[in-house]
Amino acid sequence: MSMTVLTVDDSRTMREMLRLALADVGFRVLQAEDGVHGLEVLAQGDRPDVIVTDINMPRMDGFGFIEEVRSDPHYRGVPILVLTTESDAEKKNRARMAGATGWIVKPFNPVKLVDAIRRVAA
Amino acid sequence: MDPLAAIRETFFQECEEQLAELESGLLAMEAGETDSETINAVFRAVHSIKGGAGAFSLDALVRFAHVFETALDEMRSGRLAPSNDVLKVMLRASDVLADHVRAAHDGGSVDEGHTAALAEELKALGPDGAAGDSSESEEDWGDFEFKPMSVDLPGEAATETAAGVGSGWRVALKPRADLYAKANETALLLRELARLGAIEVACDACGLPDLAGLDPEAAYLAWTVTLTSDVDETSVREVFEFVDGDCELEITPLFNGTLGGPDADAGDTFEPNTGGDLDISALLARVQTVADPQPPPSAPEPAAIEAPAVAPAPAAAASPVDPSPTDGPGQPRKPDAGATIRVDLERVDRLIDLVGELVINQAMLSQRVMEAGFARASGVAMGLDELEQLTREIQDSVMAIRAQPVKSVFQRMPRLVREVAAMTGKPVRLVTEGEGTEVDKTVIERLADPLTHMIRNAIDHGLESPEKRSAAGKPAEGMVRLSAAHRSGRIVIEVADDGGGINRERVKSIAVERGLIAADASLSDEEIDNLIFMPGFSTASEISDISGRGVGMDVVKRSIQALGGRITISSRPGKGSTFTMSLPLTLAVLDGMVVSVEGQTLVAPITAIVETLQPKASDVHSLGGHARVIAIRETYVPLIDVGMALNYRATPMDATQGVALLIEGEGGQRAALLVDAIQGQRQVVIKSLEANYRQVPGVAAATILGDGRVALILDIDTIVAVSRGADSLRAEKRLAAAG
Repeated sequence: MSMTVLTVDDSRTMREMLRLALADVGFRVLQAEDGVHGLEVLAQGDRPDVIVTDINMPRMDGFGFIEEVRSDPHYRGVPILVLTTESDAEKKNRARMAGATGWIVKPFNPVKLVDAIRRVAA
Repeated sequence: MDPLAAIRETFFQECEEQLAELESGLLAMEAGETDSETINAVFRAVHSIKGGAGAFSLDALVRFAHVFETALDEMRSGRLAPSNDVLKVMLRASDVLADHVRAAHDGGSVDEGHTAALAEELKALGPDGAAGDSSESEEDWGDFEFKPMSVDLPGEAATETAAGVGSGWRVALKPRADLYAKANETALLLRELARLGAIEVACDACGLPDLAGLDPEAAYLAWTVTLTSDVDETSVREVFEFVDGDCELEITPLFNGTLGGPDADAGDTFEPNTGGDLDISALLARVQTVADPQPPPSAPEPAAIEAPAVAPAPAAAASPVDPSPTDGPGQPRKPDAGATIRVDLERVDRLIDLVGELVINQAMLSQRVMEAGFARASGVAMGLDELEQLTREIQDSVMAIRAQPVKSVFQRMPRLVREVAAMTGKPVRLVTEGEGTEVDKTVIERLADPLTHMIRNAIDHGLESPEKRSAAGKPAEGMVRLSAAHRSGRIVIEVADDGGGINRERVKSIAVERGLIAADASLSDEEIDNLIFMPGFSTASEISDISGRGVGMDVVKRSIQALGGRITISSRPGKGSTFTMSLPLTLAVLDGMVVSVEGQTLVAPITAIVETLQPKASDVHSLGGHARVIAIRETYVPLIDVGMALNYRATPMDATQGVALLIEGEGGQRAALLVDAIQGQRQVVIKSLEANYRQVPGVAAATILGDGRVALILDIDTIVAVSRGADSLRAEKRLAAAG
């Protein structure tokens, strides 16, 4: 089963790391550079099975992005994993309050990343 | 390249961008722009570097970035005011961070003591103030060794004792609506549990109301799973990591196949209803195979139905949303970001090469057309004119691909200024102008060293001490201005200070002391100022910590000349000095003087030529052998017969029959090159002789002229060096060549 994953991260390095890890297991990867861009990608109608998003981003951060996705009738059911170096509970809780399905702590191990995605993907 | 290595390179490129962002952000804050967007951008820069560094296990970098980030987070949350003192610490921290990035990239080392000292300063700004001692901080950092997955559920600590005791686990789960609103699914949780071992699932549908009373967003079902497996409790809890707090969850060990710990049944509100008419295993089998995230509506579990918006709408207003974040699908996406592509430099250079060929070809074609006798107004000639125009434009556009803003080198200077200011105790303000001015990438790369040196000099030697400045009625803070601009096809870069100007008496006395000029030489102000460019003017004895490193202005001048550039100085006592560098925009073409020697056409770089003259017999003096000198005003300079130097002829030509080019080599040494005649000036495309043939002493490169002939570009320095310092060596070489 090939899955489509949208990754939203302002860091080129992280986007590439994610792409490498996900493409390796045969996932199709959509990329966005921040929350606004992420919504634009979604607006193009390509529905991802899972969204992986960073928290700290310019223009629209991960919290704002998650809230926007959750308030969109087409995408509110898409699992969203938060990918961030923030290991503190506050950030994680805020992301969950916004509607995040789960989280991955950076730096991630590709196996665990894929595992977490498979875990939340139907 | 291995993909991970490629990403690593990307990471370091990105780090450079982040470091630049960090520095400009901090400088903007110093200038009063302390709005949250600026602070956030600064925070993000450090945060991104830390994130990437973690991915590549660059531990030292991660540790320092973490401390830095913590301090920035304090500022971001408003607990730490961005005062000038705080920003100064952060600017220095950004320098250390840059050192760490570069050390991680090049495998170099970092001054550990300096790092530790700044880390302490940063920590003093942090939430715990100066309280943390170093052993504690080690623990802080150790804590940062994050695992790929962290599980912080209550009761985790107790699992050790329970692990492996029983034959399995009983999991009682009652989801709340929140669980579904976050796109978690009970079915997926069950699937995960099934991975750990054999499961038996019972669903309690007692809470399910009539269809009329059913709220599609609510959660009504409860589940009890009996997991037969020898996994520990942590593994079981991990399955529920993401739904912690969004459900009621009880995990109790099974002993010898029987249910329950002591409290297993106490207060159990959702006792398994095995009599329920739901076929759980069939449902489970279906969710495991069906890819569609939306199970059919007939699924008896409301959770699996995509929950309508439970997400809090008001939060959207609170987030910094772009006014029109949801552009229609038809609209072009991210026009700015999409406007750049990365291209391998080799490809660009190949293109530049080809365009060079095109220019030559076009010139040849023009010549042939003229030779064929077409009239200037003929259609062919006019078409050719247009072609020439187009070729020029293509050449300019292709050169522009290699062009980059000087910003990349300018932005290294604020740090330098801070360091030198700190070392000299002189407060300095750096003003930069024209950062967007573009010039060839290679020129930019080779500008960094001379600029560094000149700015050091400007602060160390140019600016006076604050006391002296105040006494002279100037602001105590000195100013160094670095600017770039395009001027008549070249880039002009200026380094100006508002210091005391050149102390001409002192410069002159040093020059006399060092034997560079005669004690009684009468020099104009300009000539005196230019003495500082002479080799040997700056010597080891006066090298200070700052301007030192064993290079004088002569080295700066040489490196500028090596780029085909010129450097001049103008100075006004009490007002300051300005160094002006004029550089070619590209190294692919050269302004040359085309000359003839023994029927050969040669090109001399115009930048090296000071003047041209017709030698008079009375000015030329023989020194024995073939060595000659020529008197040019008061000084004698060696007269080098280019035809002899390149072995075009065996006996020197009569100097009065030729033209002498007075040239100045990279080291500032002067000589006169004797050639037969001057043909003219033109811009030539540089072709490497080494790549196409082999290195030839005295020849820097080659070019192809309009008539298709190859012309050699003279390597002035080698010619001067060979005929000057090693006259005997030249003789030997000639002998060797003859024999």
